[in-house]
Amino acid sequence: MEMKLKDNLSRLPDNTAMKQQQLPACHFHFSATRILTAFFAIGALCLVMGIILILSSKSAKTIEINYTKICANCAKLQENAFNFDKECTCSIPFYLPEKMQGNVYMYYKLYGFYQNLHRYIRSRSDSQLLGIDIKNVEDCAPFEKSHNGTPIVPCGAIANSMFNDTIILSYNLNSAIHIKVPMLRSEITWWTDKYVKFQNPSSRNLSNAFAGSTKPLYWSKPAYELDEEDPGNNGFINDDFIVWMRTAAFPTFKKFYRRLNRIQHFTEGLPAGNYSFNITYITSFQGEKAVVLSTLTWDGGSGLFLGFAYTVTGAMTWLVLFSMIAAHLMLKKRKTFFLQQ
Amino acid sequence: MEREPEAAEEPGVPGRARRGRRRRRRREGRTRTVRSNLLPPPGPEEPVAGAAKSARHLADNRLKTTKYTLLSFLPKNLFEQFHRLANVYFVFIALLNFVPAVNAFQPGLALAPVLFILAVTAFKDLWEDYSRHRSDHDINHLGCLVFSREEKNYVNRYWKEIHVGDFVRLRCNEIIPADILLLSSSDPDGLCHIETANLDGETNLKRRQVVRGFSELVSEFNPLTFTSVIECEKPNNDLTRFRGCIIHENGKKAGLYKENLLLRGCTIRNTEAVVGIVIYAGHETKALLNNNGPRYKRSQLERQMNCDVLWCVLILICMSLFSAVGHGLWVQQYQEKKPLFDVPESGGGSLSPVTAAIYSFLTMIIVLQVLIPISLYVSIEIVKVCQVYFINQDMELYDEETDSQLQCRALNITEDLGQIQYIFSDKTGTLTENKMVFRRCTVSGIEYSHDANARRLAMYQEVDSEEEEVAPKGSSLSQRGSISSHQGVRVMYRSQSVKSHRRTGSRAEAKRASILSRHTAFSSPMEKDITPDPKLLEKVSECDRCLATARHQEHPLAHLSPELSDVFDFFIALTICNTVVVTSPDQPRQKVRVRLEVKSPVKTIEDFLRRFTPSRLTSGCSNIGSLATSKSTHKPGSSFLSSLSSDGTLLGLEERLSHASPAITNNGYGGGRADSWVPDGAPQERELRYEAESPDEAALVYAARAYNCALVDRLHDQVSVELPHLGRLTFELLHTLGFDSIRKRMSVVIRHPLTDEINVYTKGADSVLMDLLLPCSTDDARGRHQKKIQSKTQHYLNLYAVEGLRTLCIAKRVLSKEEYACWLQSHLEAESSLDNREELLFQSAIRLETNLHLLGATGIEDRLQDGVPETIAKLRQAGLQIWVLTGDKQETAVNIAYACKLLDHDEEVITLNAESQEACAALLDQCLHYVQARYTHSTPEKTPGTVSVGFTPLCPPYTPTASGPSLSLVIDGKSLAYALEKNLEDKFLFLAKQCRSVLCCRSTPLQKSMVVKLVRSKLKAMTLAIGDGANDVSMIQVADVGVGISGQEGMQAVMASDFAVPKFRYLERLLIVHGHWCYSRLANMVLYFFYKNTMFVGLLFWFQFYCGFSASAMIDQWYLIFFNLLFSSLPQLVTGVLDKDVPADVLLTEPQLYKSGQNMEEYRPRAFWINMADATFQSLVCFFLPYLAYYDSDTDLFTWGTPITAIALFTFLLHLGIETKTWTWLNWIACGFSILLFFIVALIYNASCATCYPPSNPYWTMQALMGDPVFYLTCLIAPVAALLPRLFFKALQGSLFPTQLQLGRQLAKRSPKKLNTPKEIFTQGHPLGDSQHLELGNMGTCGSLPQGCASQVPQPTQQPACSPEAGKEQSAVDTRMSLRDVSLLEELSDQAPEASTPQKSIQERHPGDSTMKPTSTSRAAPLSSIFNLPNFSSFNWISSLSLVSGLGSVLQFSRTSLQSDKQEGDFLSGAPQPERNLCGLREQTVDYF
Repeated sequence: MEMKLKDNLSRLPDNTAMKQQQLPACHFHFSATRILTAFFAIGALCLVMGIILILSSKSAKTIEINYTKICANCAKLQENAFNFDKECTCSIPFYLPEKMQGNVYMYYKLYGFYQNLHRYIRSRSDSQLLGIDIKNVEDCAPFEKSHNGTPIVPCGAIANSMFNDTIILSYNLNSAIHIKVPMLRSEITWWTDKYVKFQNPSSRNLSNAFAGSTKPLYWSKPAYELDEEDPGNNGFINDDFIVWMRTAAFPTFKKFYRRLNRIQHFTEGLPAGNYSFNITYITSFQGEKAVVLSTLTWDGGSGLFLGFAYTVTGAMTWLVLFSMIAAHLMLKKRKTFFLQQ
Repeated sequence: MEREPEAAEEPGVPGRARRGRRRRRRREGRTRTVRSNLLPPPGPEEPVAGAAKSARHLADNRLKTTKYTLLSFLPKNLFEQFHRLANVYFVFIALLNFVPAVNAFQPGLALAPVLFILAVTAFKDLWEDYSRHRSDHDINHLGCLVFSREEKNYVNRYWKEIHVGDFVRLRCNEIIPADILLLSSSDPDGLCHIETANLDGETNLKRRQVVRGFSELVSEFNPLTFTSVIECEKPNNDLTRFRGCIIHENGKKAGLYKENLLLRGCTIRNTEAVVGIVIYAGHETKALLNNNGPRYKRSQLERQMNCDVLWCVLILICMSLFSAVGHGLWVQQYQEKKPLFDVPESGGGSLSPVTAAIYSFLTMIIVLQVLIPISLYVSIEIVKVCQVYFINQDMELYDEETDSQLQCRALNITEDLGQIQYIFSDKTGTLTENKMVFRRCTVSGIEYSHDANARRLAMYQEVDSEEEEVAPKGSSLSQRGSISSHQGVRVMYRSQSVKSHRRTGSRAEAKRASILSRHTAFSSPMEKDITPDPKLLEKVSECDRCLATARHQEHPLAHLSPELSDVFDFFIALTICNTVVVTSPDQPRQKVRVRLEVKSPVKTIEDFLRRFTPSRLTSGCSNIGSLATSKSTHKPGSSFLSSLSSDGTLLGLEERLSHASPAITNNGYGGGRADSWVPDGAPQERELRYEAESPDEAALVYAARAYNCALVDRLHDQVSVELPHLGRLTFELLHTLGFDSIRKRMSVVIRHPLTDEINVYTKGADSVLMDLLLPCSTDDARGRHQKKIQSKTQHYLNLYAVEGLRTLCIAKRVLSKEEYACWLQSHLEAESSLDNREELLFQSAIRLETNLHLLGATGIEDRLQDGVPETIAKLRQAGLQIWVLTGDKQETAVNIAYACKLLDHDEEVITLNAESQEACAALLDQCLHYVQARYTHSTPEKTPGTVSVGFTPLCPPYTPTASGPSLSLVIDGKSLAYALEKNLEDKFLFLAKQCRSVLCCRSTPLQKSMVVKLVRSKLKAMTLAIGDGANDVSMIQVADVGVGISGQEGMQAVMASDFAVPKFRYLERLLIVHGHWCYSRLANMVLYFFYKNTMFVGLLFWFQFYCGFSASAMIDQWYLIFFNLLFSSLPQLVTGVLDKDVPADVLLTEPQLYKSGQNMEEYRPRAFWINMADATFQSLVCFFLPYLAYYDSDTDLFTWGTPITAIALFTFLLHLGIETKTWTWLNWIACGFSILLFFIVALIYNASCATCYPPSNPYWTMQALMGDPVFYLTCLIAPVAALLPRLFFKALQGSLFPTQLQLGRQLAKRSPKKLNTPKEIFTQGHPLGDSQHLELGNMGTCGSLPQGCASQVPQPTQQPACSPEAGKEQSAVDTRMSLRDVSLLEELSDQAPEASTPQKSIQERHPGDSTMKPTSTSRAAPLSSIFNLPNFSSFNWISSLSLVSGLGSVLQFSRTSLQSDKQEGDFLSGAPQPERNLCGLREQTVDYF
C-alpha cells in the first residue's frame, strides 16, 4: 500500500522493462560463425532450388513461330486503305520434332506492342464492360463515340486495338491429310474475369442490347458477333476479348489464344510431325507477331530463368562464403585490437 | 489594449472621446490607470456599470492558452500546417492529379495520404490544445474571495471572474490569482510574505509591503472607501520591477514599487490574510508574460536531412526529365506509323512529342512522388516524442534527493544530444552543489584553519557517496562534536517529515513535499553543523564573558583588545549582515512576534528625529509602555547623546536629545531576557531554521551559531542575537542595503545595543571590499598594524581562493551621528524620489560603504556535486571538449577545475591575462607560436605508429595532440573581452582548439553567450551549454542544446533550457547513452527512409524503360500510395524508437563510442550516397528478377506489379532486419504485422470490388497470385539476391574493419551480464591485465584520441603499463639530457611493453622539464626570456612563469607538475612529456594486430 502510494506521489519513473528500454531482445551480431552459417545455408538452399527449377523447366516444351515476315504480304495488303476489310490468309508450315505431352496451349505473341502505355491502359470503361450501362464511355477518350455520336461498344483504346488475327493449327498427318487440331477457346481467361468483371447487358438478344452503339473503329465485326460458333462467347464475355483486355506487363508479351482439346489424335498432346498455321491476317502493327505452342510445368512455365537465378545466387553466396572464410582464417593468425581505427 | 486608460479615466462625450482617445493613446501609452470597481462610475454620461465595463476592456483573469476554438480549429490548424513546405508540396502533387492529362492516380485517392498526414498532425494539435484547455479550465475555476458591492462582503468567486480593479482577499497559503497591489495585511506592520517558488523556484520568503498610506490605517481596510486611483506601468514581463503611483482623493501621490505587488502564482505565507486590488489580470500578469512556450529548434540531423531531401527532389526531377525526354523520343519514333496502341488526342491527331514529354514529366512527378517521403516528417516526430518519453522515464536520470527527473523541454532536438562537441558549463551550482559550507575564516589577520571542520566535511563526502539513508548519516553525525547528538535526531525528524508528506495523498501535496525537502536541503546538516575552531571559540567566549561583565560600563567594547573587538564584531557581522529570516520548523513559518515600538527602518527625517530623541517616549506610543518599563540602562542613551550633541547642523536637536531616553533601548528588552537565559551550550528550546536568499548567507549564520553567536530573531526593524553570557542582544536595524551584482556587497546599518553607536557592517567580495577600506597611514603603529592585517588577510584570501573556497570580506564602519544624519538625508531623498530611484539608491549605498575597517574574511566551500570529476572524465573520453565559463575569480575557478579534474596536474596551463587589446594580441601570438612549435616537433613521433594521424592545424581539436601533455587555457574576463574582438577571435579560437580544456573566469553572461556563439559559428561545432542560474540563460539560449540544472538557484535557467537535469552528473547518461541512442536511431531511420523510398521509386523508374517512358506504373495505385504509410512504416518506427545499437552499460564504460555521433559516422553524406547506391542496386534486382521471371509469360501489368510490391516489402523488412541491432518482441510483432497487413489488405482489396479501382482493376489478383508458384519463388529469391551484397559488405567490414560501435556491440555480446570481466581480445599479449576496460579505452584512443587516455590519470595504478616505466626511465636520464628526440621516445616506448609492475608513484614520472628542443627554443626564446616568477610560486601545484611583456601584460605559462617547485624559475618546457607517451601502446598494438 505504501509502495503504491509512493509510486503515485514521487516522480520516480516506473521500473518496467518497456519504460526502461530493457525489453528482452536478441542481438544480431555479425559474428563470423553466424554469418558463415547463414551464408552457407542460403547458398545451399538456392543451389538446390535452382537445380530443381532448371530440371523441371526442361520438361516444358515450347515452339514459337514468328509469322511477321511470312505474312508480310498480307500486312502490305492491309496498308492499302482500299483493302482494309479484305481478308488475307497465310499459311506457315512447321515441323514438331518431339511430341508435346499433356495440355498444350496456343498463344499469340506480339513484339513491341505497348499495352502498358500510361494513356492506353486507362482508356477503357469498366462499367460498360460490366454490362451495366453500355453507354458509359467516359474514360474511353478518344475512342468513345463514333462520328455520328453513337457510343462505341466496347469503347477505349484497348478494345479498339484488339488482336483479331485468326490462327488455325492443322496437323499434317501426311501431305494430303490435314487435320485441324481441335482447339478450345474456353477457360483461357481468369474465372473472375469471365464471370465477375465482364458481363453482357441483360437482354435476351445481344444485338438488341448493343443497339444504338457502334463497333470499335478497327473491328470488322461488332462485339456480339465475335464468336459465331458459341453464342455464349459473344459480347463482352468473349474469351479472346477478355484476354486482350487484361493488359500485358511488357511490350513483348504473349497471350492465351487457344488450348488443345485432347481428343482423337491429341489425347496425349500434340504428336510430333508436320503442322501448319493458317493465319487470317487482319491487322498489322509496327511490331512482330508470333504464335507459340507450349506446355506448362508445375511452376507455371516460368522458363529457365528462375532456375538460373537461384543457381547463380546460390553460387554467389558460396563464393562470398569462401572468400570470407579465407579472410577469417587469415585474420585469425593476427587476432587483435580492433578498436584502433 | 490602448483604450484602457481612456475608459477608466475619462469617459467623456463620445465625439470628444474619440479625439481624446488618440491623444491619450500617445500620452498614456506607458501607463495604466486602475480604479476600484466598487466605485460608481466617475462620469455622469457613463451608464451605471461603467466601472465594470471599463474593467472589461482590460484582460480579465481568465487564462486561455489554447490556440484554437471549435470554429477556428480547422482553418487555423490547416493554415499552420501549410507553413511546412513539404505539406504544400504534397498537396500540390495531389491536386495535380485532378488534371486529367497528367493524372496518375484517382484524384480522390491521391489526396488520401496528404489528408491522413494532415489529420494525424491536426489530431495531435487538437489533443495538445485540449489538454491545455483542461488545465486552463482547472485554473480558471479555482476559487478566491472577491469583494462584492452587492453583498458588501467578500464572496467566493472563480479566478476567471476576477477583473482589474477588484478587491481580493487572500488567506495564508493561498495562491495569488492575479497581480495584486497589496493594500492591507493582517500583519501589524503591513507586511506579507510570499513564496515565489512557482515563479522562479526560489523557496525563500519574499517580503511584500502594504502600500504606504494604507499601512497606517488603524481599522480594517474597507474596499468601499477606496477611492484612490492607481497609475502604473503597462503590463510587462519584468518580474523584478514594478513602478507606479497611487493618487489619493486628496491629490496626494505615493509611489508604488515591486515590494507592493503580489505576483500571480506565488503563495501567501506567514500572513493570515491580505487584501489587495487587482492591477494586472490574466494574460497581463507578469507570471504569464514570462511564460513563453516550448522552444522550436531544428536539429543538425534534421538540417542535414532537409538537405538530402533536396537531393531527392533533384533526383526526382532528373528521373522525371529523363523519362520525359525518353517519352518524347519514343513518341517521335512512332509518330509517323500510327501504331495500334497509340492513343491519339481526342481530335484524332496524335500527340506531339513535346506535349507528350511534358505530360509525361508531370505524371512522372506524381508517380515518383514517393521519393520525397511524405511520412518522413510525421515518423520523425513520432519517434522523437517516443524518445523524449523514454528519456523522461529513465530511472537512472531520476534524482531521489529532489524527486525530480530529467525534463525534456524541447521535443525535437533529442538527436543533437548525440553529436555534441563542446560543452560550456557554468561552475557554481552546475559543477558544484551550490551548498555553501563554512570552511574557515580569518579574523584580524589571524587565520583559523578549522581543521576539525575540514575533517567533518571530508567525512560527509564519504557519507554522501553512499546511499541516501537516514541511519548511517545519523550515526556518522553522532560521532561528531558536542552538538551532534540532537542534530542526528533532527535529521531523523526532517526525513520523517518528508516521509509523512509523501503519505498524505494528493499530487499537489507531493509537490509541496518536494519543494519542502528541497528547501530543507538548503540547510542540510552538512551546512548547519560547523565544528568551531577551538582557538577562535575560546576568543569568542572570552569576548562574550568580557562584555557580559562590562556591559553596564561606559564603553563595553573598549575593554576588549582590538583583536577581540574585531572578533566580536566579526561574528556580529556574520550574524546580522544578511537577510536571513528565522523560523522554527515545528510552527511552519510562523514567527513569534514581539511588537516593538519602532515601526520600521528609518523612513523620514522626522522618523529619525523621533527615534533618536526621547520625546517619542513622552509622546506616548500606545504599545511601548510595557516594553519601555523593562530593565534598561541609561548609558547608551547618554553616549548617544554626547556624540550627537556635537552635531551643530541639526538645530534644535540637541535640546531634545539632552534628555536621555530610557526607552530607545532595545537592548533593555534583551537585557531583561538575558536573565532567563541559560548560558551554556545546551540545546535551545526550539530549533531555529534560517531561510536565506542565498546559501552562503545561511552558511555564515550557521557558522556564527556554531560559535554560540546565534541569530534568534529577525524582524524588519531589529535583529536579535543570542550569546551565552551576554544573553540576547537586540540590534536596531536602521537600514539594509541589499546585495547587488554591481556593488558585489551588502550592508546593514544598525545601532549597537552595547555602545549605542551606529555601525555599518558590510560583507562582500574581496575584490571590491579591499578597495573600500579606510586608507591607513603608515606613520602610526595602529595604521601599520592595520596595514599588516590587511595584507595578511589578502594573503589568506589568496590561499582560500587557491583551495577553491569562495571568499567574502567582512568590514565595519562606525558612523558618527552627524555622518549618519547627513547620509540619511540624502538616502531618504533617494528613497522617496519617484524616478531614477535605483540609481540614486545605488549612489547612496556607495556613499555609505567607504572607509571601512576590515574585520576578517571567510572561506566558504562550495562542494563539488557528486560524480562531477567522473562525469567530466567520461565526457572527455567521449571526445567532448569542456569549457568552463564562470563569473568566479580566476584562482577559485582554477582550483575548482583541478578539483573536478578539468585541469590536470601534469598538463600545461596557458594563462591569458591581458590588460589591453594589444597585449592580448601579442600574447595570443606568442601562445600560438608556442603551440605550433610543440606540434612541429611532435609530429614526427607520430609517424612510427601504424596509423598516421597527420597533424593539420585545422583539424578538429580532439585529434591533433598525439603526444606530450595536453594544454589547457585559462583566460580571465578582461582578456576574454579582448580576445573576442573581431580581429583576435580567430587566433583565440585556434589556440583554444588546441587546448584540452578552457576556463574562462570572471566572465559576464554576455561574454558567456559570445563564446558559445563564436565556437558555434566559427568551428561549426555542436555546442551544449549547461548552467543553473539566471546568468547562464543567455548562454543556454545561444547554444545548440541548452541544459538547465533544476537545482537551487531559481528556474530561469530551466525555463530557457531544452533539457533540465537535476544534477550535472546526469549529463553523462543523457549524452553518452540517450544522446547516442537518439542520434543513432534517428540517423538510421532517416537513412532507411531514404533508402526505402529510393528503392521503391527505382522499381517504378526501371519500368519506364519498358513502357515507352509513358509514366505508367505496374504497382497498383493503392499500394503505391499506402505502401509507405501503412505497410512499411510500423517496423521502422519500432526500430527507430527502441533499437539500441550498443547497450547502455557498454556506452558508459566505453565513452569514446560517443564519437561516432560527433563525427556523424552514421549519417554523413557518404552514408547517404552509399545508401542510395545500395537502394539502386536493390531496386534493379527487385525489378529485373521478376521481370525476367515473368518475361515471355502471359502475365498482365498489375498481376506482375503485385509480386514486385510484395518483394519490395520483404526486402525492406529484411533490410531493416539487418540494420536493427536489437530485436525485441515488438520488432517481431511489427514486422509480422506489416506482412500480414499487406496480404490481408491486398486480399480484401482484391476481393472487394470488381471494377471499382480503374485502371488496375486488381480483382482477384492476389488470390490468383497466391496460387502461382512463381510468385513465391520470386518473392524468395529477389530479397535474398538484393540484400546479399549488403550483408556481405557488412559482414566483411564487421570482421575486417569493424567500427568502434561494432566492437562495442561485440563487447556487450561477449559478456552481456558482467562487463568487468577481462576480455580476452583486449588483454591478449598485454603485460598488465588488471583493468581491462581502461586499457581498452586507451587502446581506442591511442591512435587518434589522446585525451581519452589523459583522462585516465585519476587512477594512476590503472595507467598503461608503459607510462610509469617510461616516466621513471626518463627521470633518470633527465639531468644529462638536454635534447630529447624521437629516438629516445621510441626507445622508451619500446621498453614499455616489458614493464611488469606498475609504478605507484606518479610523481616520479614527472621530470623537471627544463629542457627544450631546438625547434621550440628558437621559437619560444623571446617568450621565455621575459618569464619571471609568478605570484603563486609558493604553491606546489603550480610552477608558473609569468611574462611581463613590454605592453604591460602578464602571461602565465603554468607548468603544472607535482614536483615543479624544484624547478621554479626554470624555463617552461615545450617538449612533449614521455610519461604518458602512447606510442608505446601503439607499437604494442602493432605487434598484435
